[in-house]
Amino acid sequence: MEILQVEKLCKTYGQGETRVEALRDVSLRLEKGEFAAVIGESGSGKSTLLNCIGGLDQPTSGRVLLDGQDLFAMKEQERTVFRRRNIGFVFQSFQLVGELDVEQNIAFPMLLDYQRPDQKRVEEVLQVLGLSDRRRHLPSQLSGGQQQRVAIGRALMMKPMLILADEPTGNLDSKNSRDVMELLVQASRRFQQTILMITHNVNLAAACDRVLRVTDGVLSDLGGVRE
Amino acid sequence: MSVFCIVLSVLLVTAIFGMADMFLRSQKIQSYKTDGNWHANFQNISDTDAAMIAARPDVAAMSWYDAVNYKAEPTYSINGKTVAICGFDEDFLSDIYIDTALTEGHFPTGGQEAVLTQNAKETLGLRLGDTVTVNMPEGRTLPLAVCGFADNTAMMLRYDCVGVFLSTGQFRAIPWADAEGAAANPGMYYVQFTPYCNIQKAIADIQSQLQIPDAQVGQNVRLLGVMGQSGDPMMLCLYATAGVLFVLVLLAGIMMIASSLNSNVAQRTQFFGMLRCIGATPKQVIRLVRCEALSWCQFAIPLGVGIGVVLIWVLCAVLRALSPYFFAEMPVIAVSVPSIAAGVVVGLLTVLLAARAPARRAARVSPLTAVSGNADAAAPARHAVGAKRLHVDTALGIHHAMASRKNFALMVGSFALSIVLFLSFSALISFMDHAVTPLNPATPDLSIISADNTRSVRGGLLETLGENPAVARVYGRMFAFDVPAVTGGQAGTADLISYDAPQFRWAEKALLEGSVQETERGTDAVLTVYSPENPFRVGDTVTLDCNGASHTLRVTGMLSDSPFSSGNGFGDLICSEGTFRRLMGDGGYTVIDMQLTGRATDADVQAIRALAGEGVRFSDRRAGNAEATGAYLAFALFVYGFLALIALITVCNIINSLAMSVSAWMRQYGAMRAVGMGGHQLVRMVTAEAAAYAVAGSVAGCILGLPLHRFLFEKMVSFRWGDPWQAPLGALALIVAIVAVTSFAAVRGPAKRIRELSIADTISAE
Repeated sequence: MEILQVEKLCKTYGQGETRVEALRDVSLRLEKGEFAAVIGESGSGKSTLLNCIGGLDQPTSGRVLLDGQDLFAMKEQERTVFRRRNIGFVFQSFQLVGELDVEQNIAFPMLLDYQRPDQKRVEEVLQVLGLSDRRRHLPSQLSGGQQQRVAIGRALMMKPMLILADEPTGNLDSKNSRDVMELLVQASRRFQQTILMITHNVNLAAACDRVLRVTDGVLSDLGGVRE
Repeated sequence: MSVFCIVLSVLLVTAIFGMADMFLRSQKIQSYKTDGNWHANFQNISDTDAAMIAARPDVAAMSWYDAVNYKAEPTYSINGKTVAICGFDEDFLSDIYIDTALTEGHFPTGGQEAVLTQNAKETLGLRLGDTVTVNMPEGRTLPLAVCGFADNTAMMLRYDCVGVFLSTGQFRAIPWADAEGAAANPGMYYVQFTPYCNIQKAIADIQSQLQIPDAQVGQNVRLLGVMGQSGDPMMLCLYATAGVLFVLVLLAGIMMIASSLNSNVAQRTQFFGMLRCIGATPKQVIRLVRCEALSWCQFAIPLGVGIGVVLIWVLCAVLRALSPYFFAEMPVIAVSVPSIAAGVVVGLLTVLLAARAPARRAARVSPLTAVSGNADAAAPARHAVGAKRLHVDTALGIHHAMASRKNFALMVGSFALSIVLFLSFSALISFMDHAVTPLNPATPDLSIISADNTRSVRGGLLETLGENPAVARVYGRMFAFDVPAVTGGQAGTADLISYDAPQFRWAEKALLEGSVQETERGTDAVLTVYSPENPFRVGDTVTLDCNGASHTLRVTGMLSDSPFSSGNGFGDLICSEGTFRRLMGDGGYTVIDMQLTGRATDADVQAIRALAGEGVRFSDRRAGNAEATGAYLAFALFVYGFLALIALITVCNIINSLAMSVSAWMRQYGAMRAVGMGGHQLVRMVTAEAAAYAVAGSVAGCILGLPLHRFLFEKMVSFRWGDPWQAPLGALALIVAIVAVTSFAAVRGPAKRIRELSIADTISAE
């Protein structure tokens, strides 16, 4: 079942001599449960691609369809709510809310929906992340690896159609990087979660189902890595 | 943002001090015009004592002064025109009573010469060199040659008399009768001290050296008060009040700048870390923060001072326009050196002092913060947000407000200080209401009064005057004095007064009970004026014996006060002109009053005087009215000016503070938007933060402001007039409403900025 459909996505910054084409006619499709990695050098356009797919940045042209719904045909407010419910984000610098504890950070998208957090789901996620004993800790009381696990928990909480991870191990040491990757793989396998991860670490990409490369804004599919 | 804060606080200090300076200048001008430019007077002292006072180096000007018939009785006259006779030295006109300057001729040098007031020219047709004879009681006469003319005084015009000014020597040489008062003592010795002299000390010195008791010494309290030289207990209370207000204004300025610098430094931790990283010592970082703050001053202080000065110019222009008679002398381009100095000093000192703590904090930043991912993040939270009872956006907003205790205290402090300032300055309104009485709307500029208090002013004059373009409003009254009256079996007399339409309209505002219209329209209805002795009550009947005929009238209304009340016998009964004529027969008016248009000239007044004809008294109260109006307008303008300025500064401060506070959390807002926080939720979060400051600030403002208002009220009002303190609910509601509305309105700007912020840029900046 096709979850993500990216059609002829273009993103241009600046004008005249300062014009930079960050993405050029990028097209991409992801199936449900697929874990894909986008690799590329710094400045190749991979983060721009992720931001456009997540609706954080407006493409110059092209379409992003998530479960058949065109992200940029929606109004800003509608897109925000759609993103909250259907897209999970994992950032390199975690982006946790410093004033919320682990449990509140994980449940943050639900709290923004003014819903009472589903306690069973929270417990399940905490257990998967191995953070049950840290539920009342604030982000500042956690290690980098633990913070990133909380960020992954927040992304998983709403059972989104798609998780977008931007260099999720960029700020972590090798052991924590391995742990985080294991978590993402586990999420993909256990919850049939579709994940698109950006990394410049080819070794990490090896753990994914499929690898894509962005070079100067052009996407090429390097095919499956793991059956 | 910090530059804006410095501009605001410098503007606050410059404008408030400048306004205070201009207020004192305007009061000084008023005082010179109404009371004269003298500081002390000594009664019943000898010429030797006077000479000793005059010889003092701290005495700038001095003059003897004495007067006869100052109450303008017709027993002293020139060609039937009442005169008041004054004797003084030449300095009195040139230096002391400067509003009455010599306009023509010279001061009497000896012999039988006199200076007359200007109105003698018009009313008596006198010219320089003419000889006049002053008729005095008991058939005495005083022949005089007119050697000069001087400006009219408000009192002379009001009582329609001519001033006859003699030299002290001449005045003393006249053989006054004992009853005239002038013979009994050598008069009053007026003294003006030199600038910068300690006047209270000088007066005490003179008293102790010449053994002059306190009862013989008078002081020009108002002038000394505005000069800061009064020893009057009331003035000392006012000085204490001014001192408190001064400190408050300074505190407000300091608080605004400190809060701004604090948040500015907090937002640039990474930059300071980077400086430390590349080898800057903590001392160098401190110096950098200070130099940076001082560099803002280069621009902010001149701008704040400039706006403050322009504001003062506008205020002076308004003052001149409102009361040209008094404030024509206020400078067009007024430069208040103390206010500019205060603005500059407060700006510089506050910036230096306020920069100390943030500079030390910046110097403590670890070089590591420059390279860690959390460089610009706010200080780690101490406890998690309680999002169970509140929505998470609201809870986060409140938490952001309180995240840093120091920032919260500074923000709440600056909100609270605005309220405290407003409440404190609002105490001046009560003081103004007591100290300066506005002109009664019924007060006439000119009056034509029957010379013998009968109805001798012809009725047709009212219509003629009504058509005169110089007359804005004309209204007449007929009086019947001591009319025999019986009410409730009690016999006595009452004064019957007729009102016309304008006077009935004013009476409505003083109505305590009953109806004015019934009296205005009816033929047997009267109003009465409250006094404890007045037996009339609404609903009573009163029987008047008018020219032998008995008429019964109903009392249909009770007025609290009447500007025309005489209060004889039982009291006053006011009826319509129709009723009056029915009871007392046809006849003219006793008094015709006029209010003139702003364009009316002296020539118009002379024409009206000529129209009035003989056998009537003419009263010109324009100068006195201008004094009263000028005093009220000047005071009101400054008091409301202070309040408006404080309100304006409050609005600007809140907008600026919230914008700064939001800037500190901008990164986090970006992340929140990425994970799905909507625009409305962002607005709610910032609103909650603003509300936290507004509520805490308002509570703190009330807790501090109300006792301070009470203290100032008791110093300024209770001390003098005995009024008990009452909570200033109106002012409190107004300033709290300003704080609340501004806080909520101020959210719009930052919320828009957050919405327009690129989420991708914010995230990637981390």
